[in-house]
Amino acid sequence: MRQGRLIATGAMLAFCLFALWQSLLLSLTDRLGPGPGFFPFWLALIGAALAVGLLITTFREPADPADAETRIMPHGAGGKRWLAIVALLAALTMVMEFTGFRIAMLVFNAALVIAMGERRWWIIAVFAVLGSYGVYYVFTTWLDVLLPVGQIGF
Amino acid sequence: MDSLGHLLQGFAAALSWYYLAYALAGCVLGTLIGVLPGLGPAAGTAILIPLTFNLDATGAIIMLSAIYYGAMYGGTITSVLINVPGEAASVVTCIDGHAMARQGRAGSALGIAAIGSFVGGVLATVALVVVAMPLATLALKFGPAEFFALMVAGLCLVVGLAGKNIVAALLMTVIGLLFAMIGLDPVRGAPRFTFGVEELYDGIGFVPVVMGLFGVAELLLAAEKRQARMIEAELKNWMPTRQEMRDCVGPIGRGTVVGFVLGLIPGVGAIVPTFMAYVIEKRVSKTPERFGKGAIEGVASAETANNAYANAAMVPLLALGIPSSPTIAVLMGAFIINGITPGPFLFQEQPALVWTVIASFFVGNALLLILNLPLVGLWAKLLKIPFSYMCTGVLIFCVVGAYGLKQSLFDVWVMLGFGIIGYLLRKLDFPIAPAILALILGPMMEKSLRTTLEISGGSFAIFLDRPVALALLTIPVIVIAFLLFKPRSLDKLRESDVD
Repeated sequence: MRQGRLIATGAMLAFCLFALWQSLLLSLTDRLGPGPGFFPFWLALIGAALAVGLLITTFREPADPADAETRIMPHGAGGKRWLAIVALLAALTMVMEFTGFRIAMLVFNAALVIAMGERRWWIIAVFAVLGSYGVYYVFTTWLDVLLPVGQIGF
Repeated sequence: MDSLGHLLQGFAAALSWYYLAYALAGCVLGTLIGVLPGLGPAAGTAILIPLTFNLDATGAIIMLSAIYYGAMYGGTITSVLINVPGEAASVVTCIDGHAMARQGRAGSALGIAAIGSFVGGVLATVALVVVAMPLATLALKFGPAEFFALMVAGLCLVVGLAGKNIVAALLMTVIGLLFAMIGLDPVRGAPRFTFGVEELYDGIGFVPVVMGLFGVAELLLAAEKRQARMIEAELKNWMPTRQEMRDCVGPIGRGTVVGFVLGLIPGVGAIVPTFMAYVIEKRVSKTPERFGKGAIEGVASAETANNAYANAAMVPLLALGIPSSPTIAVLMGAFIINGITPGPFLFQEQPALVWTVIASFFVGNALLLILNLPLVGLWAKLLKIPFSYMCTGVLIFCVVGAYGLKQSLFDVWVMLGFGIIGYLLRKLDFPIAPAILALILGPMMEKSLRTTLEISGGSFAIFLDRPVALALLTIPVIVIAFLLFKPRSLDKLRESDVD
């Protein structure tokens, strides 16, 4: 846990330093007063100082024996479910522009329900169809929300 | 026209069939989402935003507000039946509510929770009607310096009450503010941190970020855990007995006062009033030993305070434009999506909208009572929905919501990215609420500060010349100084209270 907090705080420090550098590329003041870089510059500076302070206090914290058993990243069966959600969402986003919402969501729903442990084919089929074609119909026809139609016409 | 006249006009609109239908749909969907373990009101409100894309602004806000209340009540059902709080505020309800369920009194626990929520919600809305307009009128005298100071004070109160580590909470606020800087500079229109990416010119979308941080992150956390087992409760007798009702009159009254007063303070969060109301009841009770073992007063006080808080939290949003919790920030996002800026000008520029929405709070609370008492058994059945179905359903809404607002797949990537970030931050115990509030307040804060400095010719001394701004800026200094240098004995005292 402590190691995880140190890494996360380090990442936030890096983010603040990057924002500090980027804000210096913008003008901090102009003839009317503060420029576009003014607010982000001071924010990034304060953020970097806070991150350094947090790094020091976390580093000084006494080691907790329970920390060794605490895992930050998911593992075991829960870890597989976690990975399935992330990987399928990423795959869905990548292919949706080409395949369109309906086809991409049909495959996504079926794969996700299976990955979460469902094995009855008819439930998988109902979820896949309702969650893709059904949702598309409801949102585009009743709620006027535009959803992607892919290059292959779905 | 006075508040009462405006409110009556608001009722006339809120009781029209279509706004009534939106409120009903919001209450049903909110309760449904609140019942599903792992999804709190913030996640519920965020993932259901796409349903309101095509509604008019008043209808959209009525529906989202009803979702918010519904989700708050839905969380009670999981607290009582499976000892899993649907949201943080229901933690206290678990203590006696679940004990009651184990004794076969789940129906009474859920019934008194619905009645207490209704009374607390309605009385808090009455107080909102009385307080909101004078507060908004007062705030109309504020200039940019006062608004900047008000936003800083609001954010610092959220930071102060966000968690154990004040430095981590402050850092999260700054990170949220820095994310809010992405896009076009609100004063000069210059692009900032866009790196030539066209999608970033409009800034990071609030909807995909909250859907990621709440919806996706909560699903990722839930995917790791095993589902809790539900108690097979007898839910036919959902009305508490006369004696139980008599016992709860005092707790409901005190819970309303505690919930409303604390709801006015940005950053307090729903758990503080529920916990405080519970502790007060335990202290005033002649038989405090019953608390923790199924005392109905414990459920009544906590649930009343919870709903009174939820309604009172609308006061800073509507009158000052300050969201006091992540869920209220999501609602503020919904206002902004619909082209409305909450704050003191709202009562002048959009009186029809604001009073219809306020009237709908009364209607929504009544609908929740009518829905929840007889339908407790039906809601309880929803707890048996397997995680695989819930996860798939929620993710469909998240993808549609993130994409639908701007028809941008980039926003779906943003949602996924923030989902993973939210998961990690929660596991590492970094508070998310300050970052969400900072993200939505960031552009307004910057605009207020820069306008103030343009007026003063770049001098910060202007804050010393304006007593209201100075007083407001003193609040965060005191809060943060107290939290950084407070005596350690206070922490020990607080821990012993919770135990």
